[in-house]
Amino acid sequence: MRGVRILERVLAALPIMVGIAIVVFAFMRFMPGDPVDIMIGEAGGVSEAEIEMLRAQFHLDKPLPVQLALYLGRLARGDLGYSIFRSRPVIDVIAETIPATVELAVFSMLFALVVALPIGVVSAVRQYSLLDRASMAGAFLGISMPAFWLGIICIIVFSLHLGWFPTSGRIAYGLEPRTITGLFVLDAVITGNLAALWDALRHLVLPSVTLGAGVAAVVARVVRSSMLEVLRTDYVLLARAKGVAEASVVIRHALRNALIPTVTVVGLQVGTLLGGNMIVETIFGWPGLGRLVVDAIFARDYPLVQGSVMVYALTFVLVNLATDVLYTYLNPKISL
Amino acid sequence: MRKGVGRARYWPLLFLLAVGLLVPGCAKKEATPEPAAKTLSLVIDAEANRKDEAEAIAANLREIGVQAEVRVWEWSALKEKILAGERQFYLTDWGSAYFDPFDLAVPKLKTKDRGNYSFYSNPEFDACMEKALTSIDEATRKEAYFKAQDILYEDVPWVFGYFRQEVEAAAAGIGNWQPSMDSRINLHDVTLKDGDTIVVGMKTNKIVSLDPAMHRERDTETVIRNMFDGLVTRTWDGRVVPEIAESWSNPADNIYEFKIRQGIKFHNGEKLDADDVVFTFERILQEGAIGGQSSPRKGLLGPLEKVEKVDAYTVRFTLKNPFPVFLQALVHFQIVPKDYIKKVGDQEFAEKPVGCGPFKFKEGRLDDRIVMERFDGYYGGSPDLPPVGPAAVKRVIFRMMPDPATRIAALKAGEVHIIQQVPPDMAADLERDPKVQVKKVQGTRCYAVEMNVAKPPFDDVRVRLAMNYAINWDEILKTVYGGGATRLATCFLPSGFGFNPDLKPYPYDPEKAKQLLKEAGYAVK
Repeated sequence: MRGVRILERVLAALPIMVGIAIVVFAFMRFMPGDPVDIMIGEAGGVSEAEIEMLRAQFHLDKPLPVQLALYLGRLARGDLGYSIFRSRPVIDVIAETIPATVELAVFSMLFALVVALPIGVVSAVRQYSLLDRASMAGAFLGISMPAFWLGIICIIVFSLHLGWFPTSGRIAYGLEPRTITGLFVLDAVITGNLAALWDALRHLVLPSVTLGAGVAAVVARVVRSSMLEVLRTDYVLLARAKGVAEASVVIRHALRNALIPTVTVVGLQVGTLLGGNMIVETIFGWPGLGRLVVDAIFARDYPLVQGSVMVYALTFVLVNLATDVLYTYLNPKISL
Repeated sequence: MRKGVGRARYWPLLFLLAVGLLVPGCAKKEATPEPAAKTLSLVIDAEANRKDEAEAIAANLREIGVQAEVRVWEWSALKEKILAGERQFYLTDWGSAYFDPFDLAVPKLKTKDRGNYSFYSNPEFDACMEKALTSIDEATRKEAYFKAQDILYEDVPWVFGYFRQEVEAAAAGIGNWQPSMDSRINLHDVTLKDGDTIVVGMKTNKIVSLDPAMHRERDTETVIRNMFDGLVTRTWDGRVVPEIAESWSNPADNIYEFKIRQGIKFHNGEKLDADDVVFTFERILQEGAIGGQSSPRKGLLGPLEKVEKVDAYTVRFTLKNPFPVFLQALVHFQIVPKDYIKKVGDQEFAEKPVGCGPFKFKEGRLDDRIVMERFDGYYGGSPDLPPVGPAAVKRVIFRMMPDPATRIAALKAGEVHIIQQVPPDMAADLERDPKVQVKKVQGTRCYAVEMNVAKPPFDDVRVRLAMNYAINWDEILKTVYGGGATRLATCFLPSGFGFNPDLKPYPYDPEKAKQLLKEAGYAVK
């Protein structure tokens, strides 16, 4: 039954995807700027014929409705087109960035959860204590701290002065594990390559912390407030009255219920993280999707932007679905 | 009685009032009066990276009574408005790759040319440029360019600006390294004291291709040039010297014949001869010749019409008309192996490129890092760029590191050995580090303020001249760019052919600016 429901949800997402495709197409064309003009750049002796030839090559000379029809037609066949600047199929360009993006997203989220869950729970249990105030102040700082600043500070302190972590990149040259999934950490584990694992993890620490700090702050605040709410409910009172140990009350009775709003927030954040983060990727020389998309937007590389946004949209649809499925496990009363 | 006396007392006043009202009216009929001085008010458009400079310019203009404010734009959005004629005063810049006004002054100022954002048009100037671009006699060209500079100096279509010093840095253990004016990094000659791998921190996010025919970008070429060689190359200061070509001759003004060095091998062992050279250029000239795609580099070859093999080691290039910057253009074209590409196809060639340069491709990703290893069968490279022979180090890695602070931290931490583009405000700190060497080289990009000369107020040369006198460039360049910039009298660069060093930039003279504005009918402070 659950399987059928999931399939229904996936099918329902199709019209959304088509809508997104059209909106992105329109937005890109309404933006001032022309990809061929940007590609030619600052050169002397550029002829109209040369510009026209290149425009025709990328079908930019055709009327907009024709371009849109061509694009949707290709999309229906699963073809995302050909990147104007990189002279390669869009799908290849995007696929190449996915492992780096996923790896960073997973570790940022892991960092965020490891920090935020205990802080949120303890702050709620010890409301108004010094710990509560300090961690909420920390969360406030985490939300307000811009990634470009935190990232640079991390590099200066931990890479330059302490020398604990490398400044940037994903792994040192020569240490890459054999490619299976493209996720270095996972590949290193699968192949039992400890040196690669260690080096990949060292490279992951600073970008994950920089990217995860903001997420941790949001999650900690959500956990705290939903815990506070749950701790005041009758069933928690009852559990305590029955003489259940306090730790068990907090973790088994309260936290599980408090997790539902948390899962919603975490789901949204995962969606965002999987889209890549241009700033963190730029600072840490991380070859992910965020950098790719921003670069494509500035270059007006229409097919690449359109393709990337479709990947974003798909990711969000899937993450939302996963979140909803997760609800049903956390609270069997909820159904899809 | 009292009443009558009272009335009489007002008569003189009424009389004066009547005269006061009448006289100006009469005067109007007799002579054209000076119009009431109006305030010159303008918006200074700039991209975010030049905002500080724009603010300083606005402050200078306000000092003389011009109402000026700054607006920050994304470039493509601004450009669209500029081309629609909707902007007045904008900070722009334009780079030159050919060491000749051909790709700077011509596209920027020739009537209706592609980069002419100021809408400047002067047939006399156009004629000079035409003359310089169709003759291959250096004296004629130089004379034409000198005259063009005089015309620009008088017409002042822009507030002429400056060029910057490009700052690059390397680890102290790096030897025989010199940043080049065209910002390419040639690692063939560079040595490393301890270790066998040189890592370069590139300023870019990504390079766009490893196929020398499939890009139109400097950073991409910087990387590619270490795997591929061209018929000719350039010294760090812009002189064209032979590389794969041994020598060349001009049997006619529009014909170039190149003798190719014998015994050159590609990384796969294939021999390089005239067929490869002809193939390289035909691949670019013919539409759809690269796996159905056309090369975006065709236009850079100017009027090149055909390339023919004369014998196994001689190639003839025929141009539609004489093109004096042809050799400078050829520097940017690298020779590719015909047989290999025919065998594996263009797509695979772009993934596993094979050239005849000092390093061969090992592995890499365009947005991450490109790893190359020394090619032991290298013919040695240009004899004009000693030492000749295989590269000094075993391996080189180009890493894409778009953030300048990260590049600098990585250099200091010893993770990379050479970095591109050090921001001027970070250079001083780096210079104090004993583990680092900082070198500067003249940039080939011209920064200026363009004005829309087709519309008021800048259709009046007095107003344009006033703007040139009103801006305290020396002070701005000192405070904003740490002195790492040099003023220009026009848009001709000293690194380019035909630069007139005797023309001096307009000095900062607010009094003169005010006087000019006043003459043009504007209120001044």
